[in-house]
Amino acid sequence: MAMNSGSDKGTRNLVIGMVAFIVAVGIIFSFISNRANSNYAIPATVSEADGYGIVLNPTATPTIDIWVDYQCPACRTFEVLNGGYINEVIAQKKAKVVFHPLTFIGAESIIAANAAACAADENKFVDMNLALFQNQPNNENSGQWQAEAMLALGESVGIKSETFKQCVRDGNYVKWTRNVTDASANKNVNSTPTIRINGKDLDRNTEYGDPVKFKAALAAAGVK
Amino acid sequence: MADKFKVLQPWLTLLSRLILGVVLLVAGGLKIGNLPKSAMAVRSYEMLPIPLANFLGYTLPWIEIGLGLLLIVGVTVKISGALGALTMLAFIIAIAQAWARGLSIDCGCFGGGGAIDPEDTKYLSEIIRDIGLMALGIFLYFYPKGRFALEK
Repeated sequence: MAMNSGSDKGTRNLVIGMVAFIVAVGIIFSFISNRANSNYAIPATVSEADGYGIVLNPTATPTIDIWVDYQCPACRTFEVLNGGYINEVIAQKKAKVVFHPLTFIGAESIIAANAAACAADENKFVDMNLALFQNQPNNENSGQWQAEAMLALGESVGIKSETFKQCVRDGNYVKWTRNVTDASANKNVNSTPTIRINGKDLDRNTEYGDPVKFKAALAAAGVK
Repeated sequence: MADKFKVLQPWLTLLSRLILGVVLLVAGGLKIGNLPKSAMAVRSYEMLPIPLANFLGYTLPWIEIGLGLLLIVGVTVKISGALGALTMLAFIIAIAQAWARGLSIDCGCFGGGGAIDPEDTKYLSEIIRDIGLMALGIFLYFYPKGRFALEK
């Protein structure tokens, strides 16, 4: 250190300052760009109290919460195995079902979640949810899921309205996905899919992949 | 032998700086594109209260980047090396407790994270890797002066 000249010290402090600046700005920017906000537009069927999820049968009991990412292969598998029964439960109002579309996999998850929310406004969420999983691309963020693909899926389940097209193209509910993510973080949801009945986790290792056990778990929680 | 170490040490310091620095920089860089996922990775260790885990998920990647930059450039090597070693120690403890409690999680060390299938966990290799990185940090604490450092 004795050999340190004045300019060396200056450079050192400059570098420390620059690194500190990068870290500080990065942290601040990270919090701002991901923050939730109750002012963001939300679909009519979404409630803040239900973690910003899309709610079906709001007055029924028990409550089934489902967190998925439309690009997640395990979620697709879950939907293939248990989606039929879940849709039956919804149709027969045997439970309140809350869908929370998460977007950890990236841009196309956001596009899909937005489209699902737009479909919810057309009372077509259940069909759109199924259509999205049935048409899940083999690779993540492959470029296949853009607005046009969402419109085609919407059409395939019978959505014809202009409002829906506008909603998909404009990404009306893109920011809402941040609220869903933020709420799921506060509820300690750490994987997709995650399924909870009345707030209690189903066993990921046994009850997700076996329709018989899944049905039994729902029955045990009061889905009759 | 002692002479040989004297000749080698500045190069070993450089090598340690670069390895630990690049690993930290890359680890942080891979996380900042998806910070909600990083927060999920921290939560899934089930060690911290949720708000604190979420906060750490957002801040830790940037701290990794900062330490990585300092080590690569060669400024505040003694402190950065020590902090790097402490970070690794924290990771080792976190992974070990997850393993001991039978959690099935991805360490989320380089992005990713969260719950995974039990057969997909690789706790042992993650811990061995982090012990190696911690050793580099400790070495830098004791021998911070090396080649090609901005700070002489």
